[in-house]
Amino acid sequence: MSAILACTNVNKSYGNKKAVLNLDLKLEENTVYGLLGRNGAGKTTLLNMISGGSFPDSGEIEIAGSRLYAGDMPANTCYVREKNLFLGGAKVMETLEWASVFHNNWDWSLANKLVKTFKISKDQKIRQLSRGMESLLGNIIGLASRASLTIFDEPVLGLDALMREKFYRILIEDYAENPRTILLSTHLIDEIANVVERIFIIDAGSILLHDDVEKIRINSHLMRGSNEAIGKFTNGKRVIYRESYGSGALAAVYDKIGEEERVSATKLGISIDGLPLQKFFAYLIEEGEHDE
Amino acid sequence: MMVRFDDSQPIFQQIAQMIEDDILNGTYREDDQIISMAQFASTFQINPATAVKGIALLVNEGVLYKKRGLGMFVAAEAKQIIMEKRRNRFYDDLIMKLLDEADKLELTTEDIIDMIRQEKRS
Repeated sequence: MSAILACTNVNKSYGNKKAVLNLDLKLEENTVYGLLGRNGAGKTTLLNMISGGSFPDSGEIEIAGSRLYAGDMPANTCYVREKNLFLGGAKVMETLEWASVFHNNWDWSLANKLVKTFKISKDQKIRQLSRGMESLLGNIIGLASRASLTIFDEPVLGLDALMREKFYRILIEDYAENPRTILLSTHLIDEIANVVERIFIIDAGSILLHDDVEKIRINSHLMRGSNEAIGKFTNGKRVIYRESYGSGALAAVYDKIGEEERVSATKLGISIDGLPLQKFFAYLIEEGEHDE
Repeated sequence: MMVRFDDSQPIFQQIAQMIEDDILNGTYREDDQIISMAQFASTFQINPATAVKGIALLVNEGVLYKKRGLGMFVAAEAKQIIMEKRRNRFYDDLIMKLLDEADKLELTTEDIIDMIRQEKRS
């Protein structure tokens, strides 16, 4: 597999604030990725640079093997912004027509189908759309663009649970038939946990961790036991969170735990459970804060 | 449908187990076709690569077989293979856990056997 996107040592500051710091990121072809980070972690700054909206202070961005220079629009890339730049006075149909011009792989039959599915009126003006409808229109453009790199920034903002589910379902269906690279940037982690193959966690402008979701799932554990037992068992392991209550302790561990270790944990009276991705993320980010 | 997957196991294994359950309870019989990878992905809202991994696991174990251009089918020996595998796991996962818990509660082996007898299932 070859890389569709490679960011190497990218930096970007606004005034004194370093928004993106020595960031490396590589996306392969035909994979669904998640980009996770809190508000202000640098997600949108990074996405803006990838989509050619701004240019790094230093470092390199390559899209499908060709370097992105200031003022370039990346080829075959679709970026669905959290805050879109649609013209308020334009109609839905005009906005779709405008978008279709920019995307070589644009699929009108999919666009029309999705407009119906999400019950958006083509004659409505953009400024009359609700926040959720606006998100949906952006998502329709992202899907219909069939771009080899499609980026969604907070795609389900303002959508109710039913619509969110519908969006992810359509995304998966379309991806199964038309594989491409999709990057979902969000802070709603559990919703995308099953949809993405690999995640990047960004914090304070840098990539804190990247791994396969399944690997994180296998290697992240929540342990409960006596203070002493937890201390003994987690010695030498990567503990991302620890809390004591009385003589008991909770520990979140991100490490391999083999069958034999499980047996010895049981003997020490330690229970081991899986850790939901949302919790894993929260603990990991908190740990990062202590280091500052 | 949004299925809640268990956090302690990889999703592809849970997908494989769901297919196994369907074979054990007779939803799928010998030589039945199972739903496609794409249907799996959209029904359970999981990445298609995950569905492929789950199905591949069962192909490797001989539970499913592939008919070129048609899809995945249930092997003749499927039920036998699954039962054998699950019986081994039954001991490791359930019996060992049961005994650990019984130890904590100071229940003897006889107590446990009595409890099982009281439950007039078989």
